[in-house]
Amino acid sequence: MSGVWVLGERREQTLELLNAGLGLARELGTTVTAFAIQDQGLAKTYIECGADTVYLLGSLAPEQPLEDYVPVIVDVARQKNPDIFLISATPRGKEMAARIAARLGVGLGSECTRLRLDENKSLVMERLMFGGAAVQTVVCLTRPQMATIPPRTFEPAVPLANREGEIIELPAPPAGKVRVLERKPRVQESVDITEARVVVAIGRGVEKQEDIELIQELANVAGGELGCTRPIAEELHWLPENRYLGISGQKIKPDLYIGVGVSGQIQHISGIRDAKVICAINKDENAPIFEAADYGIVGDLYAVVPQLTRELQRVLKK
Amino acid sequence: MPRIITCYKWVKDEADIKVDTSSRQLTLDRVGYKISDYDRNAIEEAVRMQEQHGGSVIAVTVGPPSAKQSLKDALSRGPEEAYFINDPSFAELEPAQTAAILAAVIKGRLEYDLIICGEGSSDLYAQQVGPRLAELLGIPCATYVNKLALEGTRINVERKLDDGIEKISLPLPALVTVLPDINTPRLPGLKQVLAAGKKPVHNIGLKDLGLTCEVTLNTTGILAATMERRRLRFGAGNEDIRKVVDALLKEGVIA
Ligand SMILES: Cc1cc2nc3c(=O)[nH]c(=O)nc-3n(C[C@H](O)[C@H](O)[C@H](O)COP(=O)(O)OP(=O)(O)OC[C@H]3O[C@@H](n4cnc5c(N)ncnc54)[C@H](O)[C@@H]3O)c2cc1C
Ligand SMILES: Nc1ncnc2c1ncn2[C@@H]1O[C@H](COP(=O)(O)O)[C@@H](O)[C@H]1O
Repeated sequence: MSGVWVLGERREQTLELLNAGLGLARELGTTVTAFAIQDQGLAKTYIECGADTVYLLGSLAPEQPLEDYVPVIVDVARQKNPDIFLISATPRGKEMAARIAARLGVGLGSECTRLRLDENKSLVMERLMFGGAAVQTVVCLTRPQMATIPPRTFEPAVPLANREGEIIELPAPPAGKVRVLERKPRVQESVDITEARVVVAIGRGVEKQEDIELIQELANVAGGELGCTRPIAEELHWLPENRYLGISGQKIKPDLYIGVGVSGQIQHISGIRDAKVICAINKDENAPIFEAADYGIVGDLYAVVPQLTRELQRVLKK
Repeated sequence: MPRIITCYKWVKDEADIKVDTSSRQLTLDRVGYKISDYDRNAIEEAVRMQEQHGGSVIAVTVGPPSAKQSLKDALSRGPEEAYFINDPSFAELEPAQTAAILAAVIKGRLEYDLIICGEGSSDLYAQQVGPRLAELLGIPCATYVNKLALEGTRINVERKLDDGIEKISLPLPALVTVLPDINTPRLPGLKQVLAAGKKPVHNIGLKDLGLTCEVTLNTTGILAATMERRRLRFGAGNEDIRKVVDALLKEGVIA
């Protein structure tokens, strides 16, 4: 047995998984192993932050995708038999985890948001299903017990005093069948919607892209940021993709969420469940968002939003 | 000319799920069923590719016998035949089992160049069946694809990842999982629905597979995700808007 393993696509995610892994390893009385991608410096950081062993993955050729590491990782997992293997639920992480699990012939809990050990020291994982309407609890009956964990589920591990550990270099993987033709990094957005105290979310009830202006004014007066539903970002491309809220998007915990022309399908609600106060504007009195709202305003957003903006301006003296 | 397989799941419509807030139990007996949302994009992409390049499209689904209802809907969207792999024990499969069943059916019976799955199923949303199936078949895969182009014996795709776009090229046969923004699924007309009833359906049972699907992931509980909300209703008049703003001020959530 070789303890708890963690694999994150990037530094931040690896540190979060390390933190979760350290907690589990303490309870199990075992060690923690992390993977570092191509970077000796990262490997040292992971040891400082609690890893006992770091597997340093060898360099990829420019046209090799990150997923080419799958066979290398599967090989060490077969040799070492980890008890638990946590992988960050980035898109690439999710694909790699599923493929590793398939090769090892083991179960995998997807996008788990809570982990604990039961009385038999089995890993109990909680995840959402039915678009977020339900919480599913799963246990792996095979080893390693595998889970993917969404980024930011855990706090990152911090450097500890006098840490020592072993760095083991793994061979660079041979080229697989997939060739990368081009990588276009996403333009980094300055705004982190998960940090905003007030979020005003637009849905398909907003008819035209120009009309976002109207909602932006409301957000400005309320001191908030614009968020949206998945179709607004992914189909209409009116707002960047890291602004959509929900089970497959951002999960936010603001003081106030205001949904404007948002129907409130469960997949969206899953992302705003932890808002302190939920306010909704929708012209359909039967829209599901009203079931999830504290303050529901039934009305046409084009009439309600300007009024609401004015009233807020008045009371906040802005 | 590509021979395409598209995999879809027949799922409970989560919008119909009722919840008992005190016990957190789900009431599932009166829910409707649907083709999993993003699998409609998977079917559409397969049919579009066939319209462009010729070839064939087969729809495959694994489920309990009651999932028979899905076949007409699926076939009305364009595939020319369907494989219906069913057994009463297939009602609550985990992703590893579904992938193993699909692999067993495809390996022995179907010739293909491309398999198209959805990003994730609407009920489990595990995002596992696609990449697992690719591994079991020993073919390359690309997940989270929002653009797909056939280039001779390869496909070039764009994957949408959290840090940007990755364009990759894969030799066929290959598997892709598609995002909802890859296309807009067509709405089948009456003619397509009528034609669907005449298309061939191949029924395959558990016995035909010679496979035991061992459980690797055990579900020990499913509870409603509940939320305490006040559910106060207001109209669009000035008076009401003022009340809402007052309440928000009192809550201390705006300043
Ligand atoms: C696996 C899966 C994952 C998903 N993940 C997410 C996710 O993470 N986030 C997400 O948001 N969605 C997600 N979705 C999609 C989700 O199911 C809904 O389709 C989506 O949230 C609906 O977006 P919407 O509310 O903008 O649009 P619609 O559902 O079209 O709602 C528009 C609303 O606007 C109202 N309206 C129209 N005109 C006006 C007006 N003039 N004034 C006031 N109200 C008006 C209408 O009454 C309606 O309620 C997911 C779906 C699946 C299957
Ligand atoms: N029972 C099933 N029958 C056929 N295809 C399925 C089934 N379950 C899942 N799939 C396919 O696998 C994808 C991912 O499913 P999941 O891993 O459950 O999120 C779906 O979008 C479908 O394309």
